[in-house]
Amino acid sequence: MSDAGKSGAALAAGVDRDLVFEIEQFLYREARLLDEERYDEWLATMAPDVHYWMPGIQARYRADKADLISRTRMAYFDDDLDYLTKRVERAKQTTAWAEDPPTRHFHMVSNIEVEATEIPDEWVVHSLVLNLRHRNEAEEQTLTARRQDLVRRDETGALKLARRLIRLQQTVLQAKNMNAFL
Amino acid sequence: MSAPFAKGPAAPADLPRDEAPASGQGPLDEAAIRAMVDSEQGWIDRRIFWDPQVYALEMERIFARCWIFVAHDSQIPEVGDFLTTYVGEDAVIVARARDRQVHAFINSCSHRGNRVCFAEAGSARRFTCNFHGWSYALDGSLSGVTAEELYKDNPTFDRSKLGLHKARVESHGGMHFACFDPEAPSLADYLGEFRWYLDVLLDNDEGGIEFVDGNIKSRLKCNWKFPAEDFVGDAYHATWTHSSALQALFGNIPTMKADRSFQVNANGHGWDFGLDFISNAATLCEPEIVEYLRENEVRFAERLGKMRSRMVGSLSSATVFPNLSFLAGHNTFRTWNPKGPAETELHTWVFLNRNAPDSLKEKYRRGVMLTFSPAGIFEMDDGENFEHCTASNAGVVTRRRKLHTGLGLGSEVEHPELKGNVHRNQVNEANHRAFYQRWTDLMTAPNWADVPVR
Repeated sequence: MSDAGKSGAALAAGVDRDLVFEIEQFLYREARLLDEERYDEWLATMAPDVHYWMPGIQARYRADKADLISRTRMAYFDDDLDYLTKRVERAKQTTAWAEDPPTRHFHMVSNIEVEATEIPDEWVVHSLVLNLRHRNEAEEQTLTARRQDLVRRDETGALKLARRLIRLQQTVLQAKNMNAFL
Repeated sequence: MSAPFAKGPAAPADLPRDEAPASGQGPLDEAAIRAMVDSEQGWIDRRIFWDPQVYALEMERIFARCWIFVAHDSQIPEVGDFLTTYVGEDAVIVARARDRQVHAFINSCSHRGNRVCFAEAGSARRFTCNFHGWSYALDGSLSGVTAEELYKDNPTFDRSKLGLHKARVESHGGMHFACFDPEAPSLADYLGEFRWYLDVLLDNDEGGIEFVDGNIKSRLKCNWKFPAEDFVGDAYHATWTHSSALQALFGNIPTMKADRSFQVNANGHGWDFGLDFISNAATLCEPEIVEYLRENEVRFAERLGKMRSRMVGSLSSATVFPNLSFLAGHNTFRTWNPKGPAETELHTWVFLNRNAPDSLKEKYRRGVMLTFSPAGIFEMDDGENFEHCTASNAGVVTRRRKLHTGLGLGSEVEHPELKGNVHRNQVNEANHRAFYQRWTDLMTAPNWADVPVR
């Protein structure tokens, strides 16, 4: 989605400070739910039709016009609510060895921008996420990503995550696994 | 002050002795290598997992001499299509040239050694070095030199000798392998009787297979052999390591049937499998995949025979020596690329039958992502194991005890249909022992002529 030619004021049109504040709090709270492994509460922040997508990233030449952010290509996550629920179900098992002792998660969310869409109760939200995972004695893994979300206010008035596109910075994941949601 | 420390009680006489020489002392000669692997009784010296000398010899005698998987036909279908990958730690370019053949060559300029291609994949007419602008054709030959008149009458400048270092490339079922040893046997002989098994995946349907676009890559801090041996035949770990994923998906743990499952191997390549047809495929949680397999069961049997057709989606795992692994049913190939004794780069792909319904591509792509990719609910527990099996060997006392790989000694059987070396019960370490037998054969052989057929 290109912002070319739009001023900051135009981008913020139809978005008041209270809404921005509310969405910021929504994302910060989500980060804390993940850090505290409150996965059922995290799933409850999702819209029923959520699409949670982290495509694989490749380094290609600029001249290469192939569509690299495409749902025909391999991904880390290309999930609906059913898939996310399965992942959470695994993480909750007492035999999830890679989570015991627990991974110490850290999600830092920043650079939040809120844009109005043509639908009154849906907003495009850009953010950056920094995720650190510490395990055992010395393991430390860093993930950074740009996120583009679609946040929706549902019929109860609650904010829900309806779409999330996570663009990782790494082409080769510098970690043995991805036991984290970003 | 100078009194000696009082001696404590004597150690009990039955305390186990340390089996391996401490800290990998001594030269790395043939006797030392043979002493590290006892593939008859199933003992492994941990030195093969931590010693930089052993690792350096592996790069010379295994990766620079064996056939290493580099690309499937469907990844580079058109002239000019290329991808970059690794053979051992050697960076290579794999490209389809104007002769429509697949070529593989070292990704390093003949002039100053700079890398000539930085993209993971794409389409190109040539590969041009950023340093001085030398360019190379799709078959690796030198095609252009900046201001070539500077080399006029130069006695050592010979274009024909300044191409990129080329590998032999041969293929089986669309799978292209590269080999940098002119003395190595053909790919067909290298794979030996394992070709018959590979066809379970590569040739169960008339059109063969294709790869889904993209390639997920990740770094594990483990020795490359831990994952390779895991896939060659560690059905034993499946229900324990992956208990959490199995519970999450099915609410119970499947049982493997000793009398209906096997480990087979040939030349160090190995596959452990049940005859259940469907169990690996079922964990993808996509009913359409199971329906596709069931609908085609008779056709698979017509091509492969009844026995092999039961392997198409069954509970199984396999490795083509040294570092190409796969899961039937899940339809994933992966390579374990060595990056030092304690680091490995995993490349993961998804494949399916070319003639399968288009809708299945989406199902396999998402199913593998949910199960066997770095974020997959099965695979994330594997990486944890491989890394700590490697890291524990930092301790010099730890290194002194050999590892036990003796499960299933004496389980070899004659089988009227199955080829290669056949063992009953897939919960077995027969394939580990065969993998390390092959490893020893190669590590101790100065020439390919000294490597026996296994």
